[in-house]
Amino acid sequence: MKLALFHIILLFCGVQAFGQKIITGKIITSESKQPLPGATIKSIPGNTKSLAKQDGIFNISVDPRDSILEVSCIGYLRTRVYISSSALPFVISMKAEEKNLKEVIISSGYQQLPKERATGSFTAIGNKRFNEQVSTDILSRLPAIANGLIADNSTTAGEGKLMIRGLSTINGPKAPLIVLDNFPYEGNIDNINPNDVESITLLKDAAASSIWGARAGNGVIVITTKKGAFNKPLSIGFNINTTLKTKPNLGYLRQMSSSDFIDVEEMLYKNKFYESRINNSNKPPLTPVVELLIKHNGDITNPDYRKNTALLRTFDVRRAYHKYMYQVGLNQQYALNLDGGSQKHNWIASAGYDRNSSILNEKYQRFNLRFGHTYQPLKDLRITTDIYYTLNSSISGRPGYDNIKSAAYDLYPYARFADDSGNPLTIAQKRQSYIESLEGGKLLDWNYYPLLDYKHSQNTTSTTDILFNTGINYTLFKGLNADLKYQYERQQSTGKNHRDKDSYFSRNLVNTYTQINPSTGEVIYRVPKGGILDLSNHLLLAHNLRGQLNFNRVWNKHEVHLIGGTEFRGARSTGNNYRMYGYNADILAIGQVDYTNQYPEYISKELSYIPENQNLEDALSRFVSVYANGSYTYNDKYIISASARRDASNLFGLNTNDKWNLLWSVGGSWDISKESFYKSNLIPYLRLRTTYGFSGNIDPKMSAVSTIRFLKAPANNPGLPYAQFDNYSNPDLRWETSGMLNFGLDFRFASNRLVGSIEYYRKNGDHLFGNAMMDETYGVGQTLTKNVARIKGSGIDIELSSINIKQKRFSWATDFNFNYNKDEVVDYLMDTKNSGNFISAGSISGVKGKPIFSIFSYKWAGLDPETGDPTGYFDGKKTNDYTQLMYNSSLSDLKYSGQVLPAFSGSLGNTFSYGGLSLSLSFSYKLGHHFRRNSIDYSSLFNRGLGHSDYAARWQQPGDEHHTNIPSMIYALNTNRDTFYSGSSVLVEKADHIRMEYVMLSYSLNQNLVNKLGMKNLSIFFNASNLGIIWRANKLRLDPEYQNGNTLLPSKYFSIGLRANVN
Amino acid sequence: MNIFKKLNIISLLILVPLFLNMGCEKFLDEKSNQKLAVPKTLEDFQALLDNTLNINQSGPSEGEISSDDYYLSDADWDNLGYGTDKNIYNWGDKIILSDKPECGWTSGYRTIYYCNTILEGLKKIDPGTGQSQQFNDVKGQAFYNRANAFFDMAIVWCKAYDEQSSSTDLGLPLHLTSDFNVKLKRANLKQTYQQIVDDLKIAIGLLPNNPISKWRSSRAASYGLLARVYLSMRDYENAYLNADSCLQIHKTLMDYSTLNSTSNTPIALNNVEVIFNRNMQSTDPISVLTAKISDDLYKSYADDDLRKIIFYRLRPDGAFRFKGSYRQGSSLFSGVSTNEVYLIRAECLARNGRIEEGMADLNYLLVNRWKKQNGRTTFIDLKTDSQAEALNSILEHRRKELVMRGLRWMDIKRLNKEGANISLKRTINGQTYRLPANDHRFVLPIPEDVIRLSGMQQNPL
Repeated sequence: MKLALFHIILLFCGVQAFGQKIITGKIITSESKQPLPGATIKSIPGNTKSLAKQDGIFNISVDPRDSILEVSCIGYLRTRVYISSSALPFVISMKAEEKNLKEVIISSGYQQLPKERATGSFTAIGNKRFNEQVSTDILSRLPAIANGLIADNSTTAGEGKLMIRGLSTINGPKAPLIVLDNFPYEGNIDNINPNDVESITLLKDAAASSIWGARAGNGVIVITTKKGAFNKPLSIGFNINTTLKTKPNLGYLRQMSSSDFIDVEEMLYKNKFYESRINNSNKPPLTPVVELLIKHNGDITNPDYRKNTALLRTFDVRRAYHKYMYQVGLNQQYALNLDGGSQKHNWIASAGYDRNSSILNEKYQRFNLRFGHTYQPLKDLRITTDIYYTLNSSISGRPGYDNIKSAAYDLYPYARFADDSGNPLTIAQKRQSYIESLEGGKLLDWNYYPLLDYKHSQNTTSTTDILFNTGINYTLFKGLNADLKYQYERQQSTGKNHRDKDSYFSRNLVNTYTQINPSTGEVIYRVPKGGILDLSNHLLLAHNLRGQLNFNRVWNKHEVHLIGGTEFRGARSTGNNYRMYGYNADILAIGQVDYTNQYPEYISKELSYIPENQNLEDALSRFVSVYANGSYTYNDKYIISASARRDASNLFGLNTNDKWNLLWSVGGSWDISKESFYKSNLIPYLRLRTTYGFSGNIDPKMSAVSTIRFLKAPANNPGLPYAQFDNYSNPDLRWETSGMLNFGLDFRFASNRLVGSIEYYRKNGDHLFGNAMMDETYGVGQTLTKNVARIKGSGIDIELSSINIKQKRFSWATDFNFNYNKDEVVDYLMDTKNSGNFISAGSISGVKGKPIFSIFSYKWAGLDPETGDPTGYFDGKKTNDYTQLMYNSSLSDLKYSGQVLPAFSGSLGNTFSYGGLSLSLSFSYKLGHHFRRNSIDYSSLFNRGLGHSDYAARWQQPGDEHHTNIPSMIYALNTNRDTFYSGSSVLVEKADHIRMEYVMLSYSLNQNLVNKLGMKNLSIFFNASNLGIIWRANKLRLDPEYQNGNTLLPSKYFSIGLRANVN
Repeated sequence: MNIFKKLNIISLLILVPLFLNMGCEKFLDEKSNQKLAVPKTLEDFQALLDNTLNINQSGPSEGEISSDDYYLSDADWDNLGYGTDKNIYNWGDKIILSDKPECGWTSGYRTIYYCNTILEGLKKIDPGTGQSQQFNDVKGQAFYNRANAFFDMAIVWCKAYDEQSSSTDLGLPLHLTSDFNVKLKRANLKQTYQQIVDDLKIAIGLLPNNPISKWRSSRAASYGLLARVYLSMRDYENAYLNADSCLQIHKTLMDYSTLNSTSNTPIALNNVEVIFNRNMQSTDPISVLTAKISDDLYKSYADDDLRKIIFYRLRPDGAFRFKGSYRQGSSLFSGVSTNEVYLIRAECLARNGRIEEGMADLNYLLVNRWKKQNGRTTFIDLKTDSQAEALNSILEHRRKELVMRGLRWMDIKRLNKEGANISLKRTINGQTYRLPANDHRFVLPIPEDVIRLSGMQQNPL
């Protein structure tokens, strides 16, 4: 109710009548002093408007409260003059606007404001910059251009996810909050058509993001869509482009050579390594070479054997993948935008169609429709509605490298998918000789043909998303208006994974559960013959409701902007999946299986249940929030700002909801260049700003409630099933907080030669989820995940735009982003003291005083000159006692190499224009971090058939240790030896690199020509992206972001397209 | 448009969400994932109480480890896996959880967490008419088990109750909610016992006479346990009343002559004497295979006393081991059974001057423990007019009857308060350790880790 009272007090502000007077003036251009007709003059705060006539003369009626006149005109900088300060009659001169430096408007999702009025840290990405790249989605364009944002390709959970200003959490979700216009977008953001995007704002510091409260700790990305405008004739724009995606370079994969692999197989056979596999009653597959060895009884001198293996040694499965599986991918994009407006209505409509086929022939289609409308029936009332409709579908394609296996084993490097005449070949999933020995007719064919199988196995998903929002804005008095906004989103996805009757998956399951009576020969199929269909459905429903008051008032030298409101959000996601056996798509027949009894598997005779695939999901998140945000400007020079927000949610504990845990921020800025003492002509704009505040981060996996699990009744207490706690109710469970202190300096050199900002920030992550030692008196065990961990971090963001050359026809402009970020664990409890647990790179190392993701490794002491064994240091002595090294050493015995996430990152973009021709080149860099490369692991090689090209350069004889660090191969595996080597410091490399992100070449056709064609403008463009690394610190030519085992380098993209606007 | 109309519209815009805000408690009560099994129903709570591992089978064994019903050979002492066990055995000053993770403190408070969660959950259930019986049963069990856990721990970690000093003596931290974020500190001993007595009185009012399983507490069990609590407080009048109430509901004794004395587990689980099943944590020093029964204790049995052959078996090394647990098998019974309640009633009667009635209770117990010949007992009733003699007999047979039940520690402490002057002695590897009567080490140290994390007051070391 307090808030309601506050609202009512606001309502009564400024309810008075005033007398009017008329001001007359003239608008001229500052350069030529010519009259400027068509300029709009607005009184502030009264908001009366007038238009300058043909001679630049205007009349405007103002009341005594009005203190400022604001003049705006397309192509000119907005200008403000104080009514009192200027001599009458007014002559207002307008400065022509630099084309690429029009006023930057940022959006926080709650309000839009000029960047120069904000105290917080925002990165704004305009339409032009955003469209220098071509893509189906929105987010993938950001890392190459946005300041303070990187795609995490370094940590294990990274997967290219975006990260703003480094880490704010240890275990919690790391993704920034994504807001579409006014509300968080709960569905898959890839639903949105990038051609609907007008601009993107990154909210980087707490003052910027704290308005989003408990979900903003990782920063916020606000996507602002294009809007219609009043009094605007119909305009039609379209964008057509096509992208080619190159086949991948499989040569980059460090696959062991076929010849080496066969040598190893011969050695293992000789040592009877395969005996257990050969005698295994499950009949696991053996490779063709091992089958040959069995056939020839291990005699590798047998001419027949030699002839066969000599041929196999020449094959390389990468060639087979390249030839049969990979293709040139193709993306096509068509987008159409229309907008227009009359006095009371404006509208925008768009349609988009994307059609992609990947390098593995996976198909993706997306169809977008959007219609937005604003209706202003009265001067004070504005009603907006916006509807987005998305339909997309994807279909699986061919298997990629590493997706074809031989049962549980990796595919041998000499595998072939087709013979010389192109006939499909089989890859054994069971012992080939066993399958061939099976009686025909009763069982289905048990062979697996990679070249045929994907055609019988199709995984389709389709998604429809409907987003509807509507809002009413009503102005009560000049300066005070109220918003009521509602948004509804419904995203439905259906998945259909169909393995038809000829797929190996179906045939294998049918055969596995086939029972043949040995005496009568009677056959029972426990899994009916036919296909297997897995269906899934997911439904997301989200509602948002917001009521907000906006108050803007300017008088004399004071300017106040306030917003306050309350909102509800609820998102429910439900899902189910289930399986049908014996499916026949032609007649929609399905069969029955018995899930309740165990049946003997055909080969092993072991009893097992027929696999089911059923699951139900239902998750719900709800929020109730109250927020306020305000700023006060004095004399156009000093600004102070503050915000506060309170969230309650069903994800938090009771105590958390009961308390008024506010997330707040304060900030201030000082426009030094407006001071009378400031006289610099070189830097006409200079502003200092600082903020401090808090935002939160939520982990929906954490539950504040007690949960229990039921168990079967114990023998000594029959009939009484019992339960135990799975999760202990934590009434204090809360969001993680991220506190941030930000200092910024904005500057602009004369003629906008150099515009930019330098920011320094400090970050404190508090209440982060981590293990806490518990006093056992509470009865919940020794440790518990609670809001106890802490981290700190700091960083620098530099954003520069310069105009290096500006001539009549030629110009050269540069955009430069520099980001530095460092984080450090302050408080975190690792469960273990064992040094081995700190080794893995890319997962949380959790060592106090070190980055969250750090690389620790066993100190490398070289290869043993006698044996080629890897050695390390224990108690200061060289040793190959791996048990000691791994289990008896502690963290202090390990070598710390540095952090896994880049300390320095950023981008450099250069745009050269000559007439209508424009060329943009963009580079990105990541520096100051490390990665652990992989190498030969003999355990994986022997047991799984997973090799590594490093094998060829391994230690083989004394002396080799001088030029190699790759351990010798020993028979009788020593897993600890492999684990030690793969965790040793010799495999840690510097990850610094520079990447060429994209090249954009565009040509705008001559205006006269275009006008003759009846268009407003027309441009064609050529774009190349993912151009790869141009410099790296490691000497092995590895791409640090794509080096893990079987990861391919991303394809290069080449696009050609056309953009046009018709009036 | 007139100003008030505007005001109305704007109020509507703002107040719609605000009014919705008022119903937000319900809005936020919805669980975040349907898969979360949040305990809400009586069945859920009963299932938690039926978790016998946590509720019945993890009573503290520290008191028994410290007691003198048994001793360890030097070799067995040397072989104890945990330093903490050695320390408890020779009355040292350290219990360390990072050395031995499970102890009576951790399990006791785990039980209490279960009970507190259930009691909090029950507040959200309407004890409707249809289910009020089950509701009361569940609630009573939670109160009973909380009291039992507190009491068992008080015996180990607090001084023997003394009305005079109880408001200054240190008690237990009385954690009565499921919230693990509140700061805990120790109550005084008076508050601690008051809590136990109050919980049991509530349980008496709620529990049924006959539970469906002896793993579940009952009204008889509550009377029996409360009698034990009062006995330890040396409030003999109340102890008598509760023991008597207990026996009015459940009074059966076993005739030991019907048992198979050659068996390694002669006494059945859930036999007729058992009122409530509970046992101590199994731990090395008091494992029945390791612990040797004190020679004095063994020798004190008369030859016709069947307990001599039913409770004990000769070990290869000439010592005797215990096989008389009412839990059948290696777990040591520490629950409530009629034999103990008879002995409580007998002792209270004798102490209150009702010697004859007291001796009658003792004789009734012993006749069921004595050998029979040709179907007739060989037992001759004990008779005395002397209160001291009566008390001596009753206490002597209390010791012989309630062996390895975790009761000896309580008895030593309370009887020393009565001037019994029982002191203990252990010899380990030639070294002698003594625990004089009323020594401060009769109060065991609270686990160091608990003290470190909570900052609560440690017992004198």
